[in-house]
Amino acid sequence: MSISTPGGPERRPTVVSTGKKPAAGRPASGAKPGAGKSAGGARPTSGGKGKGPRKPVTPVKVSQGRAWGPIALFVAVGVLAAAIIGWGGYAAFQGSKPWEKRAADIDGIVDFREKDAKLVQGGQHQQGPIKYDVNPPVAGPHNAAWQNCMGDVYDAPIASEHAVHSMEHGAVWITYRPDLPADQVATLKSKVQGKEKLMLSPFQGLDKAISLQAWGYQLKVDNVDDSRIDDFIRTLRVNASVEGPNANCGQGITATGTTPRDPQPTQQ
Amino acid sequence: MTAPVTTDSAPDEAPATDDGGRRSARRYGVLALTVAVVVGLLLGYAGGLLTPSLTRPGDTSAEAGFARDMTSHHAQAVEMGLIAFQKGSDPEVRQIGGDIATGQQGEIGTMQTWLRSWGLDPTGSEPAMAWMPDGRASLRDGLMPGMATPQEMATLRAAQGRELDVLFLDLMIKHHLGGIHMIQGVLDHGGDDDVLTVAQTMKNTQQTDLVNLQNARKRLGG
Repeated sequence: MSISTPGGPERRPTVVSTGKKPAAGRPASGAKPGAGKSAGGARPTSGGKGKGPRKPVTPVKVSQGRAWGPIALFVAVGVLAAAIIGWGGYAAFQGSKPWEKRAADIDGIVDFREKDAKLVQGGQHQQGPIKYDVNPPVAGPHNAAWQNCMGDVYDAPIASEHAVHSMEHGAVWITYRPDLPADQVATLKSKVQGKEKLMLSPFQGLDKAISLQAWGYQLKVDNVDDSRIDDFIRTLRVNASVEGPNANCGQGITATGTTPRDPQPTQQ
Repeated sequence: MTAPVTTDSAPDEAPATDDGGRRSARRYGVLALTVAVVVGLLLGYAGGLLTPSLTRPGDTSAEAGFARDMTSHHAQAVEMGLIAFQKGSDPEVRQIGGDIATGQQGEIGTMQTWLRSWGLDPTGSEPAMAWMPDGRASLRDGLMPGMATPQEMATLRAAQGRELDVLFLDLMIKHHLGGIHMIQGVLDHGGDDDVLTVAQTMKNTQQTDLVNLQNARKRLGG
């Protein structure tokens, strides 16, 4: 490349006619592989000059030895490229997967949106006790007041009529059988406390130790260490809301007891 | 790019002994070059495809952690603000309560919109405050800095008159101090311009609020 310094017109003839370029870069023994490297077109000229003296020395063995390095490199680069593309594609695919799809991937989840479209339509306020076919309920008519779902931990059963309204607002309601050991209740409490759009309460008559509800979804598990609990919360908290992330969880009923409290006119 | 060029030199040795070898070598060279070009294009395409998702804040980023945790933090301020707005006896307490509730609810909307535009869930895969250095150590029973305990919230809900006014001011002053600490966390560790701009506005707002809260607290006496 030192040739480039003299100037444009001088450079062109030297390269084409004599193959000095490789000679300049690498003297004597380096000339031949260098010539091949420069370009495919340079082959005929360099071949006549360089081959004669060198042919008997080492041609075949060197070429075989060298061929594997580049091939290995080429394959490695190819594999790396394929891996990057594959990973990128996979990540993009996973990342773009809507929460509904990811919810469907949770083993054992029941999707009531599929089963009963009428049940999961929002805005069905109703006073007084309501009979729910699914228990704990996952959607449907509910009281005008919602249960406070600001990461509230209730130590006694709450009214389903309020809890359903909380789920309409995007809360995940975690219920457990009243006989669940205290340490397991504590683990559930640590998942809930301080995090809005979550609430925890015992529930009478559960057929499994723990039952998780979001609007239109339910998952029952036997153990507090089940990783699907976190999957359920991560996938459905707020996402399953009918009203979006700005729905309120404060200003709700904070009392326990399974009888719904209809909003009373204030005496102010 | 080095791969196809070097392979080219290897078959170049063969032509001296065999002319058919040279032709296949040339074909091999063309093939290698073609493959190299295709791989290069695919890499470029994949890069272009990935760049937006790699440059936007990820699931464990400070920005995402802040958006999620500050949403929770704000949600409690909204709850307290609405209680003050509804039940406060001092007009300024009611005014400040409503102001904080509406202002912070608006910011919740902004933060939740970030998460959605980044393709992230409102709920993270990491525990609260994990995005801040020593953040997890600052949690008290799952509560982030400055947040009122369930007992304090119960007391606030049950309070009346001046007792409620004073308790609200005390709790909100503490809440804002914790909030500003978290906002400073994202200002120090975040990189997204929009997040930094909004966070700075939040900090300014809460610092202004603090002055007003503290003055009102002084006015209402000890």
